[in-house]
Amino acid sequence: MEKMKMMLVDDEERFLSTTQKLLDKKGYDVVTASSGAEALEILNSKIIHVVVLDVKMPGMDGIETLKKIKTSFPLTEVIMLTGHATVESAVDGLKSGATDYLMKPTSIDDLIEKAEEAFNKWKILEEKIRMAQSKKFMKSPREILKDSATD
Amino acid sequence: MKEQYYKSIRKNVLMSMILIPVIPFILSLGTGYYSFTSSLENSTISSMKRIMEDHSQMIDSFLAERMNDLEFILNTYSYEQVSSPDTLSGIFKNLQAGSEAFVDIGVFNDSGSHVAYHGPYSLKWKVYREEDWFIKVMKKGYYISDIFLGYRQVPHFIIAVKKHKGSSSWILRATIDTQMFTDIVEKVRIGKTGEAYLLNMEGILQTNLRSGKKLMEKTTDPVRYPDSENEIKTFIDKDINGEEYLFATAWLKDKEWVLVIRQEKADAFKTLSFVFNLIVFISMTGFILIICSAFYITERIINHMKQMDFEKEELGQHLIRAQRLAELGEMAAGFAHEINNPLQIIRSEQALIEMNLSEFKESGTLTPSESLSEIDDSMSQIKLQIDRCASITQAILKFGRQSEPKLQDVDLRSFIPQIIDMVAKKASVNGIDIIQDISLATPPVHGDPGHIQQVLLNLFNNAMDAIAEKHGSSGGRLYVESGPKDNKYTEIIVKDNGCGISPENLKKIFSPFFTTKPVGKGTGLGLSVCHGIIDNMGGVMQADSEPGKGTIFSINLPVSRK
Repeated sequence: MEKMKMMLVDDEERFLSTTQKLLDKKGYDVVTASSGAEALEILNSKIIHVVVLDVKMPGMDGIETLKKIKTSFPLTEVIMLTGHATVESAVDGLKSGATDYLMKPTSIDDLIEKAEEAFNKWKILEEKIRMAQSKKFMKSPREILKDSATD
Repeated sequence: MKEQYYKSIRKNVLMSMILIPVIPFILSLGTGYYSFTSSLENSTISSMKRIMEDHSQMIDSFLAERMNDLEFILNTYSYEQVSSPDTLSGIFKNLQAGSEAFVDIGVFNDSGSHVAYHGPYSLKWKVYREEDWFIKVMKKGYYISDIFLGYRQVPHFIIAVKKHKGSSSWILRATIDTQMFTDIVEKVRIGKTGEAYLLNMEGILQTNLRSGKKLMEKTTDPVRYPDSENEIKTFIDKDINGEEYLFATAWLKDKEWVLVIRQEKADAFKTLSFVFNLIVFISMTGFILIICSAFYITERIINHMKQMDFEKEELGQHLIRAQRLAELGEMAAGFAHEINNPLQIIRSEQALIEMNLSEFKESGTLTPSESLSEIDDSMSQIKLQIDRCASITQAILKFGRQSEPKLQDVDLRSFIPQIIDMVAKKASVNGIDIIQDISLATPPVHGDPGHIQQVLLNLFNNAMDAIAEKHGSSGGRLYVESGPKDNKYTEIIVKDNGCGISPENLKKIFSPFFTTKPVGKGTGLGLSVCHGIIDNMGGVMQADSEPGKGTIFSINLPVSRK
């Protein structure tokens, strides 16, 4: 069973570090990024299952970052962290492919709960993909041979 | 500045209000007066001409008849016959029977001697050869004299006719009574001052004037003679006293006499002056009316403008206030948004501290003590206060950023009970009876159900708080009613028997950040948001309260027209 890998994206350094410590203590694997650009870099080099993304950031804002993540890494689950009381920005996020949203100031328990949910979603999706791929293997052994030949 | 502006507008409006009606008014009056004047002058002058014609004809025919009388005698009797006094007196009697104007009659031979005479004077054998009349009658064959005094110093005029008898001739002469003659002319009366008189070529009066001038006096009137025999000349001129007269003149007696008719102009045109006065009166009244109404209407227009300007200014002020409020909302929202970030950090930090504390407790590093329980207490208090802050920022954000409403028709008959169900538990805990009176005739409204729910929940919660404050946990009553109002509005009424709102607070309940709740319980934004929601739906929200008795909130929403 795979372990959840999380990434926190926020421009508030202290929030990142403290939340990271908390999640560490709870036994989660967390990386942090203080901007959208940095988050995208990390995603390029590491496998991340769940991203917790702040909507309001200087430079590339949350929605923009979300869109980029979804185009480059469509399987990654993204939870939006919004300061708006209205659900407008959250709706924008959901429309752009976010899994869920959290209202600031959020409690660590809520964050963990939503992250777990998202991770479960990811796992189901992953399972489906694996199944589909194994079907592919059943269908054409030639291709497997071809694939292994080119490796 | 502003007064100056109104003044100039008032002036312009007033001028146009006065001038525009006055111009056609004056034109019509002027035209009327002019045409009336000319027609009256024409009719006056033509009636004068008619009188003139009648009288000149009468005089001419009188003279002609007397001539004919004499001619008749000349042709009927011989010189010898008329020379005998007896025959002459007979003839004279006949003449007088024909016309009483004859005073005497005389017969002359061609050397101017009186041959026979019948009359009141003894003039027989007087010689008239040098007399002017005799010379003229010998030359022309007939003669009508001017009025003259002759030997008798009595005004009279004579008619003489010549008759040939072989190589010689004889003359018949008659004296005509001037009185008889004058009567004809003096009988002429036009209006008050109209009169007629005769003039000879020298301007000597041949008749008396009613106005005082006597026969044989020289006229002082400026007489203008007609150009031809049959023409009647009319003109207006001043007499010796400077009085204006209307004159008419015509020739008589082969251009030897002039018949003059004159009438004072003022008298002749008396109707005209009456009409003139009438027109002056009408125009005065008209002007006064026009000016008064112009002033009145202008005043009204200006007042209306002032009112409009005032309202415009009010509206402007109102807009500015609304804008300020919106800006304030924006600011508050931004502020709340910014506060959220540090709040997030505080929350995380607090969670970390708590986690570390529990680790310490588990590892036995920290043993339970009074200080530790104080720290625990402080921790939970910090958590509570963070929650409080969070709820404040959330409320402010809600107020500052009204989301776009999703409009649809809402059937209040089922919608209101649903919302009441949401608070039913809270109500029963506080021992509050909710009495519903949702009329089946309640018309649907058009709006965002979420918003309507927000408004009603807010009112229910406020009502229950007010009830709890007065009654504690029993005896509270909350009435919720709905139904049609007029046929344009749906009315929802939320009534409680709670503690009520004081009059000075009642004025402020819809203002943002106004609250009577204890610190930390309310943000003071609830009702102002509700008011904004109802406003946006085109409705009206009002509150009425009696402190100690309860409060009534009424909401009127426009009926959905679909």
